[in-house]
Amino acid sequence: MDEEKIIEQMRNCLGAKLLDASCPAQRRIFVKVNGADVTAAARCIRETVGITHVSTISGVDTVKAFELLYHFADNRVCLTLRAIISRSEPEIETVTDFFPGAILYEREIQDMLGIRIKNIPDPRPLVLPDDWPADNYPLRKDWVCTRPEKKIPGGKK
Amino acid sequence: MKFKIPIGPQHPALKEPLSLRMTLEGEIIKDVDIRLGYNHRGIEKLAEQKTYIQNIYLMERICGICSHSHTTCYVQGVEKLLGIEPPKRGLYIRTLIAELERVHSHLLWLGVAAHESGFDSFFMYTWRDREVVMDILEILTGNRVHYAINTIGGVRRDIGETERQKVLDSLDLLRKRTEYYTNLGTTEPSFVVRITGVGKLSPEKARDLCAVGPTARASGICIDVRKDDPYAAYDEVPFEVCTADTCDVLGRVVVRVKELLQSYNIIEYLLKNLPQGEVRVRAGRKVPPGEVVSRYEAPRGENIHYIKSNGSDKPERVKVRAPTLANYPAVVEMLKKGFIADIPLIFAAIDPCICCAERAFIVDTKTGQEGIVTMSALKEYAKKFYQARRFEKGVVQWPL
Amino acid sequence: MIERLVTWARLKSPWILHLNTGACNACDIEVIAALTPRFDVERFGILLKATPRHADVIICTGPATRQMKDRLVRIYEQTPDPKFVVAVGACAMSGCVYRGAYNILGGVDQVIPVDIYVPGCPPRPDAIIDGVVKLLTAFEKKQKEIHSHAVK
Repeated sequence: MDEEKIIEQMRNCLGAKLLDASCPAQRRIFVKVNGADVTAAARCIRETVGITHVSTISGVDTVKAFELLYHFADNRVCLTLRAIISRSEPEIETVTDFFPGAILYEREIQDMLGIRIKNIPDPRPLVLPDDWPADNYPLRKDWVCTRPEKKIPGGKK
Repeated sequence: MKFKIPIGPQHPALKEPLSLRMTLEGEIIKDVDIRLGYNHRGIEKLAEQKTYIQNIYLMERICGICSHSHTTCYVQGVEKLLGIEPPKRGLYIRTLIAELERVHSHLLWLGVAAHESGFDSFFMYTWRDREVVMDILEILTGNRVHYAINTIGGVRRDIGETERQKVLDSLDLLRKRTEYYTNLGTTEPSFVVRITGVGKLSPEKARDLCAVGPTARASGICIDVRKDDPYAAYDEVPFEVCTADTCDVLGRVVVRVKELLQSYNIIEYLLKNLPQGEVRVRAGRKVPPGEVVSRYEAPRGENIHYIKSNGSDKPERVKVRAPTLANYPAVVEMLKKGFIADIPLIFAAIDPCICCAERAFIVDTKTGQEGIVTMSALKEYAKKFYQARRFEKGVVQWPL
Repeated sequence: MIERLVTWARLKSPWILHLNTGACNACDIEVIAALTPRFDVERFGILLKATPRHADVIICTGPATRQMKDRLVRIYEQTPDPKFVVAVGACAMSGCVYRGAYNILGGVDQVIPVDIYVPGCPPRPDAIIDGVVKLLTAFEKKQKEIHSHAVK
């Protein structure tokens, strides 16, 4: 089965760095590593497993830590790499050396969650407006948005 | 010496606020700067405050042209989390609406591409035929756009016999017209020469930059989520993945027209083999904890949703990546070494459905001046530029 | 006399500018579908113009996002008087599903004054044309009142 072969390949390549690997459904693999090992995992996926397409990078704020999920896909399987980052030091290496197409997703993660991505070729903000106050990261669980006050045209305040 | 020109957010060419910053040297574009944000509506944060059912209607309004793709992708994911399987008839109806949406989206794009290359009659023809598809959608679902046909567990409405017959009859008309467009699009010399060689994207670059959809398929890369990761009824329906080899805008036109013809075949198959039965199953309100990745082939490319649930009736995290975002790095690559006159056409060729919009700002390094050029001025310029150039013989190999 | 001529020209052939301030494109497609052969507003003299300087009527779709706020005000000021603003769609009226998001200020009327609201999500092209016609009828009536007062 393709999924088992791929998990085998990743285990051989990464050894102890691979914290967990599971196959919850057909054509879906979830693999877990620490944030520091993400470059090694990306190299393994590109060179050994042979996947070249990164679909997107999701950032999740579980209250204990940040999780970055890199979704890779090809015609055999959809492989999700979960990288755990601590909340106190939100930093991670870039994967654009192996996957140049991931640049926009990394820029979006920087904007929305405030995780610093080291050696990113283009660190400018992507989606937030120009006049957005710094250090406000909308997707963090502790950031609450206040609804701006609504004017009723021609009406009383 | 280089120029930088901004293309401001309001312009008539594309329907969304769009802005690009380009560095020019003479006529040739050297570099492009992308900055998104005009259309950013904070949907992912909003989705965490609404229940799963309310989110269906929020996901629908991410995009008006491919609204069904977002709802289906989301609903598929939630159904996997709940562990329920919609009945076959429901899946067939979902796939039917998906293919009708693909048809209307490609016809829309053909019109827009023709309009960008100056061929306005073609634009009017395709949009007139698109109205036929809109009528079908209205008969089946009740609305021309934002047909909220999906619900968790299946679809909301069933198809009766008269509606089925009406759709089959309209298919003949659409097929005839599409064949006329195929002829027109591939043999009309002035149109073809205008779009050949524009927006070249080599297969290696397309793979590296993770392009999706017809943009990648026009460079010969055979990726299609309907074949790689079948969902809904696609594992039972016979169809082919359409690719082209020319790697330019002509290739993208060819791919989309071929896909139109494939879609008609799929729709006919679905209607002729519609199984009997229910269209939905009941679904609980609270979703057990888990996470799921759901993929879908929207008209523009691969649509991917990631949903994480925590046991309550509101999702923990919903991540949406619309297909146009994946094509942006490819657009930057295509615009380099192109002419200014080609900017509207190259940009329209990836079929931008800008959920997060762009900004263009071109700077002239020759004189150090900065100025704002509207997209309409660019289009006028493009028309004059191409009229001044002679008809180059030998650019296109006949017959196509 | 010139006044009457100009008013007649404005009523019989309003030129519109289409402005999208962060919408999902459904309303925009319906606005453009109004130009296509099925509904065909060009036979009424309505032309889609490229620049705000040539326009009589601004058709706005979409909720006003923070990023678009300044641009919206600038475009409104660039349009010469008398100008009308039509807010098309539920998003331009009040924000539709997006109310409460951090990047949305609400409907378009939070930023610029609006004359006509066309509800729907999205409104059909016929509804949009109906809205523009109602606007022009109201304008005509107002102009007639002004002229009759002036003559007296």
